[in-house]
Amino acid sequence: MEPSASPARPFPLRTRGAVLLALLVAGGWAFAYLDLSFGDLVPNEGGLDIAGRFFGRAFSPALTSEADFVPEGTPPLLVASLAALKTTIVYAAAAMSLSLLLGLFLGFFASTAWWAGDPVGGRTLLGRTLAPAIYGFTRVLIGFMRSVHEVLWAVLFLAAFGLTPLSAVFAIAIPYGGTLAKIFSEMIDEAPRGPALALRGAGASGIQVFFFGLVPRALPDMMAYAFYRFECALRSSAVLGFFGYETIGREIEQAFDGTNYGEVWTHLYVLMAVIVLFDWWSGQLRKRFVA
Amino acid sequence: MIMPGTASGFRLEGVTVRFGELAALQDIDLAIAPGDAVALVGPSGAGKSTLLRLLNGMVRPSAGSVHVNGDVLAELSRAGLKRVRASIGFVHQDLSLIPNLRVIQNVLAGRLGRQGLLVSARSMLFPRRADAARAYEILERVGIPEKLYERTDSLSGGQQQRVALARALFQQPVALLADEPVSSVDPARARDTVELLTRVSREEGLTLVMSIHNLELARACFPRLVGLRQGRIVFDRSREEVGDDEFHALYDLEAAEMLADGA
Repeated sequence: MEPSASPARPFPLRTRGAVLLALLVAGGWAFAYLDLSFGDLVPNEGGLDIAGRFFGRAFSPALTSEADFVPEGTPPLLVASLAALKTTIVYAAAAMSLSLLLGLFLGFFASTAWWAGDPVGGRTLLGRTLAPAIYGFTRVLIGFMRSVHEVLWAVLFLAAFGLTPLSAVFAIAIPYGGTLAKIFSEMIDEAPRGPALALRGAGASGIQVFFFGLVPRALPDMMAYAFYRFECALRSSAVLGFFGYETIGREIEQAFDGTNYGEVWTHLYVLMAVIVLFDWWSGQLRKRFVA
Repeated sequence: MIMPGTASGFRLEGVTVRFGELAALQDIDLAIAPGDAVALVGPSGAGKSTLLRLLNGMVRPSAGSVHVNGDVLAELSRAGLKRVRASIGFVHQDLSLIPNLRVIQNVLAGRLGRQGLLVSARSMLFPRRADAARAYEILERVGIPEKLYERTDSLSGGQQQRVALARALFQQPVALLADEPVSSVDPARARDTVELLTRVSREEGLTLVMSIHNLELARACFPRLVGLRQGRIVFDRSREEVGDDEFHALYDLEAAEMLADGA
């Protein structure tokens, strides 16, 4: 028995234990449903051999083409890899620019802070009527944009418009724009309210409070997240190579098909290098502008 | 130079403020003449912050009326309320500056209430030479002109409080309100900061109302002291008339009651 004077636990230990147990049970059920067992991991015929040869080349990536037949005029392997890398980066940059615009624009409408009322005056007529509708619509819209993966968007756009560069850019930019909008709006809504209220008290309007009281405070986090999404965009752009775009994914796929595993590793290392490099560079930028 | 404005007077008539069940202030009558300097003293939860927020139109009274410079706040339109707020500088306890912006941007933010969105965006992103010069002058007055382009969070607590004061002065206010402005400043700097606030207000002819924990400091710097306890005014006297008995009434009784409750 707890002493009667002490407040009731808002979340009793029993409840917490029950939630943990339920999560465990759910996980176990998922395993059982999928009939997962390590006994199934019997290699295909020659499978282990392929895996061995593939990972064996990790330490000796190819420096020149390993294909049996190299057509006239084919650029050297490293040149081809770097060219594909350049295309990968360009696609990622184009998609990211578009999704940043989408994310900032939709992120504004998807936040509650821009139509939050005054502590004394309450909400304006617009804040009571149109704003909640716009907010709700935007939340649904960005939810839809995010719920379809970029690969599925790519399938859709390729079916509709064919293998045009714009299809690839849209395929990445739409789900990324939705994700950025969601995260940006939440970062702004969760920014500390102290400065915002202080500006209100000095006569600033709701929109001014949004842009000068909340956004500056959220900006470092928004920037960090945008950098992370660019890294994701590089990977997505690479994957679109499997659909035939001239990104590094296509080089990887062709090398893999030809069982030229050394070449696969070459392309993988090139991609890895650019991601590590980008990570370092964005860290430097953030240190300069944000930290 | 800062333009000396017409000092603002305040009057509360029978004001009660309730937050749900809790009565933060009860039946308050208080008049503060233009140019006066008043210290609000009393324990935590006495209603000092609520009273200050009434004066700049950030809290709505549940009953009674708040007069600021002749206007009754409840009768003002949205624009009118905005105008009154823009005319009153407020120095907060803490957390009121944007830490990752430059000092100049925090100071310029003081004028948002007098500007439209586009004008304010332009001046916040690309401060005009004239604005920068004025911000520099005001920072000079509060003693930290060299910090104009520093990041705000690189400053000490006391320096940040000076930035907050500079922002309030950049508003060209007619009155200055300060809510425990030295509670997060080390004691050695607290006196400097309070003296700075009172001196600047006097020089500019601003009405000054400040809530303050430190009774010594209140007596030393303010001619008039208003004591609050549990949402009511316990005394409202000149500093010569406030003796130790009055302070005991504010704090010790409270302590005695708490002891009684706990037993």
